[in-house]
Amino acid sequence: MTALMDPPSTPSAPEPTPRVEDVPRSIDPGLPRSDKVFFGVSRAIGYSVFVLMGAIGLFLGLQSIPTFKRYGLGFLTESQWQPEKDILGISAVLVGTFTVALVAMVIAFPLALATALYISEYAPAKFKSFLVSMVDLMAAIPSIVWGLWGFFLLQPKAIHVAHWLHTHMGWVPFFNVDTDPNAAPWAQSRYAASAFIAGIAVSMMVLPMAAAVMRQVFSQAPIGEREAALGLGSTKWGMIRAVVLPFGAGGIIGGTMLSLGRALGETIAVVLIISPAFDIKFKPLEIGTSTISALIAGRFGEATSAQLSALLTAGFVLFIITLIINTLAAMIVARSRSGAQE
Amino acid sequence: MTTAPEVNSLIPTYTDAPATDVVHVRGGSLNAVEISAWFGSNKVLEKVSLEMPANTVTALIGPSGCGKSTFLRILNRMHELVPSAKLSGQVLLDGDDIYDPGHRITETRKRIGMVFQKPNPFPAMSIADNVTAGLKLTGTKIGKSDREALIERSLSRAGLWKEVKDRLKEPGSALSGGQQQRLCIARSLAVEPEVLLMDEPCSALDPTSTRRVEETIHEIKDQVTVVIVTHNMQQAARVSQQCAFFLAQLGTPGDIVEAGPTVDIFGNPKDPRTEDYVNGRFG
Ligand SMILES: Nc1ncnc2c1ncn2[C@@H]1O[C@H](COP(=O)(O)OP(=O)(O)O)[C@@H](O)[C@H]1O
Ligand SMILES: [Mg+2]
Repeated sequence: MTALMDPPSTPSAPEPTPRVEDVPRSIDPGLPRSDKVFFGVSRAIGYSVFVLMGAIGLFLGLQSIPTFKRYGLGFLTESQWQPEKDILGISAVLVGTFTVALVAMVIAFPLALATALYISEYAPAKFKSFLVSMVDLMAAIPSIVWGLWGFFLLQPKAIHVAHWLHTHMGWVPFFNVDTDPNAAPWAQSRYAASAFIAGIAVSMMVLPMAAAVMRQVFSQAPIGEREAALGLGSTKWGMIRAVVLPFGAGGIIGGTMLSLGRALGETIAVVLIISPAFDIKFKPLEIGTSTISALIAGRFGEATSAQLSALLTAGFVLFIITLIINTLAAMIVARSRSGAQE
Repeated sequence: MTTAPEVNSLIPTYTDAPATDVVHVRGGSLNAVEISAWFGSNKVLEKVSLEMPANTVTALIGPSGCGKSTFLRILNRMHELVPSAKLSGQVLLDGDDIYDPGHRITETRKRIGMVFQKPNPFPAMSIADNVTAGLKLTGTKIGKSDREALIERSLSRAGLWKEVKDRLKEPGSALSGGQQQRLCIARSLAVEPEVLLMDEPCSALDPTSTRRVEETIHEIKDQVTVVIVTHNMQQAARVSQQCAFFLAQLGTPGDIVEAGPTVDIFGNPKDPRTEDYVNGRFG
């Protein structure tokens, strides 16, 4: 108050311009306390996931050292798993792992794509949420149930499919089975307990995840581009090809790779269905195969400490493979237009 | 022998067509008859009738939310893409009801093109591919040299050729908003529609692009019938020959208060509400 009433001592002196430093200044007002707490907690949770992942990797890596010291790279190239003869290697189970996963993906990919497209593009609005929850429900079925389904219900039917494939396409080595397909009573048991049947069971397990990822990205395809295509006189399928599929490409690839990662590690259904065999072979229709996770599950109980280290090394290899595939999948999804959330 | 005269009368004779620019020369005439529209149980248009004669530009004006976009989207069967949308009435294209079950919806949309408020080029396609997207989507085959000619002609008609002729392979999304909208116009023109519907095509554009779009409308109206929704009164006055003023009174469905030659709507409106609106006194 007084300052206002005081007559200015130097009436004509202009207000001095404040001096401005020509350096970047801080304009961050800082976070309120509640935000700080929230950020701290969520960051801690986020980091702990990384720490956990790192710890698992480190643990498996450390456990693998004795095995790699003893067997060297032969561990990766040897096919047999005969602890009693001190011969241990995972090349056959690696091949088996990828064969089962390949069968699973060949079946799951088109089904997931068709399911996702039907739900997001064709299903009537009323029906949509019902279908979505059915797919989610499918994801909630425990893998042991899929294993039992594969063994008791699928296998008796699937061996006929396998036999048919062998009979008609047996000239392709991939579809060959070591038996005469035209023998009067054909050898049914040669077609059972195979990578093919395990792969079908695994495909049912990974299908819901692949379909969910794809459906999500399809439903985000911009309405403006959809209407542009339809407005030009396109059919619905033409619009899907021009707009929805290009937009969802990242999700299609990413979702497929995520489920591939899962298919590689799927255990219990495979253990139930396959009959263990340790030959490197590319004959998914024929009886006998093994996968890394089935090997670990099958041999864990009886293992000595040296064998345990070998099993953990096999697990380590699987861990690295899945890590690479999932990281690639995440990168593809994030780099695609649908994942970038413009 | 007796059929010869009939056959002849079916073949249109394009006498005054410029030699270089022939595909079709006449736009189609549109006639909306007693159109009502609903979203769910919400009625947004009630018995709206409007004649849109061939080769004229009809402007639809009126405050927001009175059903102009809905009306426009009914004219090329885009309304029914909204799941809850319903409609009644008829839309006659050259006398035929486009909602007649005998008409293929894709064919109708090809004949009646649409330019949207927000530019929507296909971002994954090049500029050139965007222009010819309609042909590809409708399964129309075209030779390489014809294709290049079509791209140049369509982009020229949309006033974009000079700006993009050296970068036809770049993605459509690399253009500015105004250029994107003109690309969308070129894309619509490339399928040679008889009618072009434009829903506030300039509302997101800079003045230069707006002027280009208006020039385009002037140039194409000899070949295409244009129906344009605009919030800009000057634009309606500049580009249209005919004008329809939509209004939805509070809680009632939208309707056309007054329609007629643009000069009358702006210079000598019959309804006081029209006069208020065109002079910017409400809405
Ligand atoms: N997809 C929609 N779903 C439900 N109501 C809508 C939809 N689109 C428009 N409407 C309603 O229809 C009325 C007319 O909208 P619109 O035709 O977009 O008006 P305008 O283009 O004249 O602004 C509005 O009341 C609006 O809320
Ligand atoms: Mg509108």
